[in-house]
Amino acid sequence: MLRFFRRKPAPKPKRRRVVKKPRKPKATPRRRGPPSRGEAIGAFFEPRAVLVVGASGIRAEPTQEFFRPTVENMLRFYRGKTHVVDLSGRLEGASRDLRKVRGKAELAILTLPQGPALKNVKRLVDARVRAVIAAPRYEQGVREELEAAVKRGVRVLGPNAAMGTLNTRNGLCASFERGLMPKQGGIAIISQSNSVGAAILDSACFRGIGVSKFVSTGDAVDVNEAELIDYLSRDVNTRVICVGIREVREGRGFVEAVRRAAEKKPVVVLKGGVVGEQDKIYDAAIKQALAIRVRDVEELLGVAEALAKQPLMLGDRVAIISNASGPAILVADAIHREGLILAKLSEKTAKAMAHKYPGISVVNPLELGVGAEAKCYGFTLEQVLADPGVDGVVVITALKSRPLEPDDARVVAEVAKKFKKPVVGVAMGGEDHILVHDALKDMSVPVYDLAEKAVCALKALRRYGQIRWRVGG
Amino acid sequence: MAAKKEIIELFASIRGQNRRELLEFEAKKVLSAWGVKTTRIELARDTNEAVKLAREIKYPVVLKIASPDIIHKSDARGVKVGLSSEIEVKQAFEEIVANVRAYKPDANILGVAVQEFIPPAREVIVGTLRDPSFGPVVMFGLGGIWVEVLKDVSFRLAPITKEDALEMVQEIRGYPVLAGTRGAPPADFEALADLLQRVGELAVEFPEISEIDLNPVFVFDEGKGVVAADARIILGEG
Repeated sequence: MLRFFRRKPAPKPKRRRVVKKPRKPKATPRRRGPPSRGEAIGAFFEPRAVLVVGASGIRAEPTQEFFRPTVENMLRFYRGKTHVVDLSGRLEGASRDLRKVRGKAELAILTLPQGPALKNVKRLVDARVRAVIAAPRYEQGVREELEAAVKRGVRVLGPNAAMGTLNTRNGLCASFERGLMPKQGGIAIISQSNSVGAAILDSACFRGIGVSKFVSTGDAVDVNEAELIDYLSRDVNTRVICVGIREVREGRGFVEAVRRAAEKKPVVVLKGGVVGEQDKIYDAAIKQALAIRVRDVEELLGVAEALAKQPLMLGDRVAIISNASGPAILVADAIHREGLILAKLSEKTAKAMAHKYPGISVVNPLELGVGAEAKCYGFTLEQVLADPGVDGVVVITALKSRPLEPDDARVVAEVAKKFKKPVVGVAMGGEDHILVHDALKDMSVPVYDLAEKAVCALKALRRYGQIRWRVGG
Repeated sequence: MAAKKEIIELFASIRGQNRRELLEFEAKKVLSAWGVKTTRIELARDTNEAVKLAREIKYPVVLKIASPDIIHKSDARGVKVGLSSEIEVKQAFEEIVANVRAYKPDANILGVAVQEFIPPAREVIVGTLRDPSFGPVVMFGLGGIWVEVLKDVSFRLAPITKEDALEMVQEIRGYPVLAGTRGAPPADFEALADLLQRVGELAVEFPEISEIDLNPVFVFDEGKGVVAADARIILGEG
């Protein structure tokens, strides 16, 4: 029976890869002095070239193979140059000697086991890399070597950072989990835990959520979360920063960094492992850092997707548009639970609706009737978004026993982009949800399968609206 | 910065006595120096001093044992309330000392503290603690079962702004009790926010303070202020 639990091999064209002509990343201009510590973080995401160092003959950790999958990922996705050094000399095209790649790469991914790593960390520094991702856990000895490398001006990510870094813009995939390359988008992810990070990326790939950059920090002997948050807050491709933390190492520094970033773009924090009083202290710290706290991976991505795609919500009043009454009631309940309120629609909206669709009674939730088609959705949404008494809208599209087609839901995103108010979609169920979700996944309106998730996303847009108002931006 | 100097000296003298926990009258001295309103309390070493202090403070008064070896004063029958005459104060003094001697014969008794009596009002708890990752943290909760049973408390990293202070008051579930229900007037939120800010600043300014616990703090109606009726301050090790 056990074999049923074994992992299935991944189907080949499982993940969508952005098909573009390979393009060499721009070479960073040579400089005389060493780069400042802040600038050097860039080498983890936009290196001139990458070096993967491992030994194909020995595993770095008894249960985990890092080297080969990392090489595969880099060769498959990265549009820059990947140099491979295999100390076992088995991999085709790989060099056997670190001295031969001197000066060739800015970023090195170290996957060697403890023994050979002891000698080779120093050689990496001699090979003039600027940044090292230390994938395995590593024990004392190698850790000290890594710290010595940091003293010589090299930046180190990890150890225990096997999920490495990822950049959807240049295809950098310095990770050992095969094929996790989400599409391009505005969400950056920092994860202390490799497996939580992998789950977030897997989920982003599966649900077609766009990511800008990803980084796992592991045991952080050098580069920490605060520094990465600073870096990502300056990254033009990142609109939302998500941080998954297990333990906050330097609490005040972390809070300061999040706060600085949150004044520019939303920061979402996933923090587990604390209960009772400790949990409340984290709540307070995250609140004072002007960040938004979430409780699980799905909520993280749901909230981040809305923050990346939709405008902020500047008031508490929500309108619901639906072709089914039951789901509308569930959304209304969620609105109350989240401390938002049901908007009261204006006379003007009522008149415009009565003129065009006399059969629809203009109360919130606005029920369009089972026969509602794309045109009716579009017209109604336009009226409701123009209503000064409405700050945000939830649009429910039910497909079962209705003439509405999944593609009809696209009208929601088309109308929404004309206004500066947030709109989120709800398509409940299983297959129906996927159908609507897929129809809209490359558009700006996120679609959720539950009322709770949609309203939670709207609430995050409201919360960030309050934060921006508070910092005066 | 006279206040700061006074507090530093007091802490040094406590450490000199090999103690980490301040006695109530000492803690209140620190708080008063820092601008936190507390019930007036003075140490009397004998009955004559007690009577003199009671007259100064004005009757009725409360007498409480002052001993570093007695943590729970009521358990040792070391508290007498509602004393309104010289005879009562003298009697109470003797009784308290006798009770504590019987409770713990080797207790080091510094004397008996004489404290002003305040008619009770809405009770809240204000405190600080030192979190291993975040440093000084301010805590707020409603007194009694709200904190003990329902764990209805809110936190903020110190120092806090007035806005933070008001938010932490509004955040607790028991907030309506303070906002005023069934015709009761609202509590003095301004004074409460000021107290929370000051306590936070105290914890930030003196890293050697590991814990402050004001329990209870009486919160009077709007415009009438707040007063810390009992106070504990514990210093960190070393």
